[in-house]
Amino acid sequence: MRLSFSLAKTDFKLKNEGSFLGMFWYLLEPILLLTLLYAVFSRSLGGQIEAYPLYLLLGLIIFNFFSHTTTEAAGAILNNAELIKSSNFPREALVISIIIKRLYSHLFEMIIFTGFLIFLGFNPFWLLLYPAILFFLVLFVLGLSLLLSVINIYFIDMANIWGFACQLLWFATPIFYSDQLPVPFKSLNPLSYFISASRKIVIYHQIADLKNLAVIVLGSLISVLIGFFFFNFFKKDFAENI
Amino acid sequence: MEKIKLENVSKKFKLSFQAREGFLYRVLEMLGKKDKQREVFWGIKNISLSVGSGEIVGVIGRNGSGKSTLLRVIAGVYQKNGGEITTLGESIYINGVSHGLRSKLTMRENIFLIGAVLGLSQKNTAKIFDQVVEFSDLKDYLDVKLVKFSSGMIIRLAYSITIHSILNREAEIILLDEVFSTSGDIFFQEKSLGKIAELQSKQKAIIIASHDLNLIENYCQRVIWLEGGKIIKQGEPHEVIKSYQKFYQENENKLIVGS
Repeated sequence: MRLSFSLAKTDFKLKNEGSFLGMFWYLLEPILLLTLLYAVFSRSLGGQIEAYPLYLLLGLIIFNFFSHTTTEAAGAILNNAELIKSSNFPREALVISIIIKRLYSHLFEMIIFTGFLIFLGFNPFWLLLYPAILFFLVLFVLGLSLLLSVINIYFIDMANIWGFACQLLWFATPIFYSDQLPVPFKSLNPLSYFISASRKIVIYHQIADLKNLAVIVLGSLISVLIGFFFFNFFKKDFAENI
Repeated sequence: MEKIKLENVSKKFKLSFQAREGFLYRVLEMLGKKDKQREVFWGIKNISLSVGSGEIVGVIGRNGSGKSTLLRVIAGVYQKNGGEITTLGESIYINGVSHGLRSKLTMRENIFLIGAVLGLSQKNTAKIFDQVVEFSDLKDYLDVKLVKFSSGMIIRLAYSITIHSILNREAEIILLDEVFSTSGDIFFQEKSLGKIAELQSKQKAIIIASHDLNLIENYCQRVIWLEGGKIIKQGEPHEVIKSYQKFYQENENKLIVGS
C-alpha cells in the first residue's frame, strides 16, 4: 500500500512537471468541455433538465475519473515490464497507484464542482454523502483496472479497444442528455447508475432509489472480487509473459 | 539454520508463447495449434541446494546458463514447474540497480521512490537518507534532476540506494543478480564490496549471481557453477572457479566453432 502511495506521488509530480500551469491543465479539460457542451446543448437536450450546468459537470467529472483511470491502468503491468522482472515487489501497487493518483485529481475537480455549486446557490452539505458513492465507484474501477491490466498482457490491443469502448460509453452514458432518455443497453451501463445516484443526492437533494443503490453496491463488489481473483491467478506468470 | 532449500527444482519456458500480441494473433495461434509443436526450454532443471543464515553462496556461469532464472524462481518472480522450494522469511530479489529511477525527478525524490520500490516505508527511507547521500558522495546534487547526472553518478546513486535499502529491510533472504558488476570507479567499487560483509554480519542468507569472479572468490563461502540450467560443480570457491575457467579455456575453440 505504501508503495502505491509513493508511486502515485511520483507520477503526480511527473505529470505536473515542466508545465507552467501545472495541475490547472487537467482542471482545464473538464471546464472547457463543460463550456462547450453547455453552449451546444443548453437549449436542446438540456432544456428540460434542472440545474443543467451542475448536471453536466458532475457527469463529466465522474466519467473522466472512470475512463482516465481504467485506460491508464490497462497498461500498468506491461509498461513496467523491466521493473517487474528486476524485483519482487507486490504487483498490485502498480495498478493501485494509478487509482490513488486519479483519485487525487478527482478531488480537485470536485472542489471546482463545489465552487460551482455554491456559486449557483445550492446547499453544498449534501456533498458530504458523495464519498459513500465514491467509495463504491473506486472499488468498481479498481476491479475493472486489475482485470484490464491482466488482459492487456495477453492481448496487447486491449488498450486500444478499451479506449474505443470508453468513447462509445461516453455517448451511451447520460452525461449531456437526460437520464430519462431511452438509450440502448441503458440498464447494462454500470456508469449511469453511479452518475444518476450522485446527481440525485448532490444536486437534487434526494436519496437515490434503492434499486439504483443496490446495483452500485453489488456491481462494485462483483467487480473488485473478479478483478483481484484474475490478478492473483495470473500474477505469478507476469514476469515471464511480458 | 537453513533458510533456503531447493529440491529438484525446475523451470521451463514456453518458447512458442509470443509476448505482446493482439487478439487476431491469439485467435490464429489457437486455430493453427495442432500442427505447431509446443517448444519448451528448461531454464533450470533439477536444481538442489541449500543456503543457511550468514552464508553467501555465489552463482557463476555463462550468459543463459540459468543464473537469473534460479534466483527469480527462489524469489517467486517466476513460478517453478517442479520440485520443492522451502524458504524461511521474506525474500528480496534485485537485478541490476538502476531500474525504476525517474530522470525527471530530483535525487532526493528518487531516493524515496526507490526506497519504496525496494520495500521501505517513508520513515525508514528517511532514516537511511543521510547514509545513502554520504555513501554516494553526491551531497551537492540533492535537488538536481537526474537528467543532469552523468552515468557514473547515476550508478553511484542507484547502487547506494539499493544497498542501503537491502541492509535495512527485514528480509531474511537476499538474492542479488549482477548488482555489483557496474559500481563505478575502483574506489567506489571497493567501498561497495565492503557492504557485502555488513550484510553477512546480519545473519541473512545471501545468493549472489555474478560474472565478477574476483568478487565471488573473495566473498562467497560456496560457489555453484551452472551450465545449461544444471549444476556442473559446486563447492569451495577457489576450486570451482578454477575448473570453470579451465573448462572454458580448453573449450574455447570448440565453443566458437560450435556456436
